[in-house]
Amino acid sequence: MRERLIRFSNLLLDVSAADPDDARRRKLLNVILIGTGSLNFLVLITLLSISIIGRQSVLDGNAWAGAIGLLLGIFLFAWGNRRPSLPGWAVSGTFLVFLLILFMFVDTPEQMAGGRSLFVFTIPIIMASLLLYPAASFIFAGLSALEIWYLAEKAGALYNTFAAIGFFLVALVSWLSARNREQALREVRAINKELDQRVVERTRELSEALRRESEQSSQRQAILQGIADGVMVFDTQGKVILTNPALIRLLELPLDKILNRNLAEVLQSTKISDEERDLILRSVGYNQATLAPIRVKWGVRTLSIISAPVRDQKGRAIGHVAVMRDFTREAEVEQMKNAFVAMVSHELRTPLNAILGYSEMLRDGFYGAVNEKQSNAADRILSNSSRLLNIVSDLLDQARIEAGKLKFDYKLFHTSDLTDNLHSVMDKLARDKGLELTSRIDANMPEQIIGDSHRLQQVLVNLVNNAVKFTDKGTVDVHIYKVNERHWGFDVTDTGQGIAPDDQKHIFDPFRQLEGTVTRSHGGIGLGLAIVKRLVELMGGQIFLKSVVGQGSTFTIILPFEPPRQEEKEGEK
Amino acid sequence: MTPEKPFGLIIEDDPDLSNIFSEAVHAAGFETEFVLNGRAALERLHGVTPNLVILDLHLPEVSGKDILEYIRSEPRFEKTIVVIATADAIMGESLRDDADFVLIKPITFAQLRDMSARLKPVA
Repeated sequence: MRERLIRFSNLLLDVSAADPDDARRRKLLNVILIGTGSLNFLVLITLLSISIIGRQSVLDGNAWAGAIGLLLGIFLFAWGNRRPSLPGWAVSGTFLVFLLILFMFVDTPEQMAGGRSLFVFTIPIIMASLLLYPAASFIFAGLSALEIWYLAEKAGALYNTFAAIGFFLVALVSWLSARNREQALREVRAINKELDQRVVERTRELSEALRRESEQSSQRQAILQGIADGVMVFDTQGKVILTNPALIRLLELPLDKILNRNLAEVLQSTKISDEERDLILRSVGYNQATLAPIRVKWGVRTLSIISAPVRDQKGRAIGHVAVMRDFTREAEVEQMKNAFVAMVSHELRTPLNAILGYSEMLRDGFYGAVNEKQSNAADRILSNSSRLLNIVSDLLDQARIEAGKLKFDYKLFHTSDLTDNLHSVMDKLARDKGLELTSRIDANMPEQIIGDSHRLQQVLVNLVNNAVKFTDKGTVDVHIYKVNERHWGFDVTDTGQGIAPDDQKHIFDPFRQLEGTVTRSHGGIGLGLAIVKRLVELMGGQIFLKSVVGQGSTFTIILPFEPPRQEEKEGEK
Repeated sequence: MTPEKPFGLIIEDDPDLSNIFSEAVHAAGFETEFVLNGRAALERLHGVTPNLVILDLHLPEVSGKDILEYIRSEPRFEKTIVVIATADAIMGESLRDDADFVLIKPITFAQLRDMSARLKPVA
């Protein structure tokens, strides 16, 4: 109802015009016309009713004609005002002139000249400033002044100069106020226009940004859909919020078993062992990056998995992502390589052992006396085949370590076995180079400890062998000691050439020896230290290197004291 | 009557290594013999009770592990010392409890000779 009323009044009042000033003025004129028209109409009806009831006309014939003429005039102006083809100023101007003419008849000329109804002239003067343009009030002040002069002449009365001055003063005031108003309006309109412009620009920017965003997002989507690696994106609650077809293919799970589930739920599969499931759950987690890919068997596949936190621009973790790669083929190749290396190494050992044996027997005169040169030659054969054997052994160990096949045999053994064995194996080599091999075991070190004595000896011999290799004079010292209640360790110190700081960080890499002449003069394929490090780590220990070029190096191994195994406890009973 | 020399049986499929091992054990003062495959070794063991057996593990026909089991199951071999000589460290280690000694190849002539000498039964 209310809306209807508003719509109706809008229909009545609004006048369409292209120019906003024109529209505003036409609307104002419309309001005035409707107002005066309605008033006129009501007055006319009232007077007519009184005349009919009183059976006597309250107005004479001229007055009736005037009133009806006014009403018709108002209708005419209202009609003209609504026609866009007629200029607004012309309609308004004519209306105001019409008012001035009308005023001649509202009072007798005498009274008018005398000043009784002069105030009515202020109406067109003020209206002119509003309906035409601000300065138009002066024109109508002038016209009003002319009119009262004419009326004074007609009535033979004295011209009312004060009234004329009053008209101009009213014109001045309405000119000033109308001008201010128009100025304010113009400013508001300018501001609005600027605002509109800004809205247009901002809208364009936004739609551009939206387009770019959707473009990037579809690029990302295409990458995610296209890559062969399986991707899972987790939110901060650990739920999968995004994945891709490759992951579904790798895990052989339907989408609804992955999306919106946490990792533990996704891994509820019989395709994976409990042990490996735990490994994944430990390694793929919130706010941590996997340092190295973990490898697990998933059904017939081998998967390599890495994970990393997803961070926002401020560096806060807002989830994490796990990427799974099908590693089946690589794992097979690796397996074949390791098996091949192991087989070859094994097959090489037997003939090498024969060469070693025969050259030793020759050298030692087992087959009859040999002269010095022959003995030397046999010795060379012996030492070279030894070297070859060591290389083969290293390769075999490396292959076994990589294949994860290395097993440790933890048993109680005498700590002194380590040094005894070391001396029996290495003394001759050290002596041959003119070096002294010394060893000591601290008094606080237990006499017997639990460990894989074979692997520990391998570590020790490897380190001492290395020390002897790179030391030309002085000593190689082995020191076994207790670190604390839970750890023991040993140092292998030499007085060799030392290792430069830059080289220290690569010294445990497989197949790497320090650059330069050293490599060529010392032979080997650089597996020794890599194996030592791996073995130590597999036994739960750590290896450290301290070295000063020209002064020597110290390799330190720290290992945990192993608790007695079940069978040993039983054996003690 | 001079006391009989102790008897050492070398079970090794590589002829060169059998030869070297025989020589080494012989040099330690044993009477030696070698067989080149597992089946022949079992047959030979039916006839003799060696003081020392040098046993390779990867053998044709019958494996060294089976031979070791056979030796350990027969009371007749109670005093027989078994030294495993293998290039297979893993298997060697796994049999450490059943054998008296485990040597991982390469094994030098002197090493085996000196060891055999120590293992010689006191006359």
